[in-house]
Amino acid sequence: MLRVDGLSTGYGHVQVLWDLSLNVEEGEFVALIGANSAGKTTLLKTISGVMRPWSGTVTFQGKRIDTMHPNEIVDLGLSHIPESRKLFTDMSVKENLEMGAYPRRTWKDRANTMRWVFELFPRLEERKNQLARTLSGGEQQMLAMGRGLMSRPKMVLIDEPSNGLAPIVVAEVFQILKSLHAEGITILLVEQNVRQTLQVADRAYVIENGRLVLQGACSFLQANEHVKKAYLAL
Amino acid sequence: MVVLRDIVITGLLLGGILALVSVGFSLQYGVARVLNVSHGEFIMLGAFITFWLFTSVDLNPLVSLVVTAPLIFVIGWFLHATLFRRLMNTAPALGVFEGWSMLASFGLLYVVQNLARIIWGSQTHQVIFLNRAVTGAQIPLNRLVALGVCVVVGVVFYLFLTRTRLGKAIRASAQDPTVAGMMGVNINSVLAICFGLGLAMAGIAGSLISTVYAIQTSMGLQYTVIAMIVVILGGLGSITGAMIGGVVLGIVSQLVTHFQPTMTFIAYYVIIIILLLARPKGIMGK
Ligand SMILES: Nc1ncnc2c1ncn2[C@@H]1O[C@H](COP(=O)(O)OP(=O)(O)OP(=O)(O)O)[C@@H](O)[C@H]1O
Ligand SMILES: [Mg+2]
Repeated sequence: MLRVDGLSTGYGHVQVLWDLSLNVEEGEFVALIGANSAGKTTLLKTISGVMRPWSGTVTFQGKRIDTMHPNEIVDLGLSHIPESRKLFTDMSVKENLEMGAYPRRTWKDRANTMRWVFELFPRLEERKNQLARTLSGGEQQMLAMGRGLMSRPKMVLIDEPSNGLAPIVVAEVFQILKSLHAEGITILLVEQNVRQTLQVADRAYVIENGRLVLQGACSFLQANEHVKKAYLAL
Repeated sequence: MVVLRDIVITGLLLGGILALVSVGFSLQYGVARVLNVSHGEFIMLGAFITFWLFTSVDLNPLVSLVVTAPLIFVIGWFLHATLFRRLMNTAPALGVFEGWSMLASFGLLYVVQNLARIIWGSQTHQVIFLNRAVTGAQIPLNRLVALGVCVVVGVVFYLFLTRTRLGKAIRASAQDPTVAGMMGVNINSVLAICFGLGLAMAGIAGSLISTVYAIQTSMGLQYTVIAMIVVILGGLGSITGAMIGGVVLGIVSQLVTHFQPTMTFIAYYVIIIILLLARPKGIMGK
């Protein structure tokens, strides 16, 4: 479904990603793990069109998307839920969700989609007229996820949804991810919470300093000595 | 009492016009990040197109709004889609783009102003429209009508921003253009529309000004300066702030003008200094 081939990119003259390749099949739940500054966010931004690759290609459902604009990519059904929520803080919960349904394809049906999102995140419905900036951290993450789902994506890129949340809320987030996967949505998840991530995902890639160093089924990675030492603190 | 009433009504009118001018200016800076020094020239253009239609084909100034607003919108849209978008795509950083775009708008100021001077000369003109006092009051009808138009435009624009798909996209883009793009907003298109809308508001303000005050081809810059004051007063980038700031400045300006006309501009700066000491980020600043 998503294929990244020989991707290199960076900021200004500083290269961050080096010849990275990965692929995600339809219906899969794939995780991307790596230390701080490894380049995970940069990779997601390049896939969703926010950044341009220096070289290499990105293909989604057989279509080259590496020269497309972000608005065209989300319209194809690939939604990026960004790191640290990035909500429209001066807009209400409802308006944030509406913005998620902005593509023409989904705008008309936004009321129905919102009902679906409210079923996934009942707390958002209780707070739908509140300004986004008045929500708690957990609720803000729920809103960021809900907003990213309003475009009815076939696949979502999610960047560190559990960051800064209390353990009980983290568990809730992972529960939601599982149910999205069960609904047939393909997921590429970036996480620092490696232990729980390897329990819910099918496969994972490990990147270090912008390079791919390891990949495989989660069960394989859980047993891998390097992963155990560097990411699971065993 | 009568004097006070007249000051308040004229102040509200001037305030309404200044609010329109400033909301347009704020839209260009807050969303499209262009500090448009040529803003006032499009007020002048709106005023002179209205004047020209009035004197040549005897078109009612209110009807001419239907011509000036869309025409100036298209000019603004085109300017952004060509000039400013190109600068934005080549600038290495937002700060650099803000500098470049301000310089470009300086150039635009001279081009528009001098073209207008070639066409209309530099003498003073006036559109004589509804220039009679309303029964029982000393307020000329043209002022009440202009005030009414300001209010209508303000309300329509507010509804546009809060109720429509495009309006929400504009508000989202003002907060975070990158994320708005990730949600499906075509950011280039929204920026060009904002720039065009901002100029169109200047054009509408110009049309209204021509029915109330004397106009000259050199009238633009003073309004740009006032818009900058209002926008700082209201809080950079805040549309509500620009609206409130415009009305406040209009009323204060009329009060001061009534007692001591030469002090008007000095009063603007006194207000701004006091306000910035009390609220460094403006009325609606965060
Ligand atoms: N806007 C930017 N301008 C310049 N350099 C940047 C920018 N964003 C990130 N970088 C640099 O790129 C490298 C990779 O950053 P990135 O955000 O992709 O890492 P990450 O793996 O997502 O880290 P984290 O786990 O902390 O979110 C870092 O060295 C970072 O300093
Ligand atoms: Mg990151």
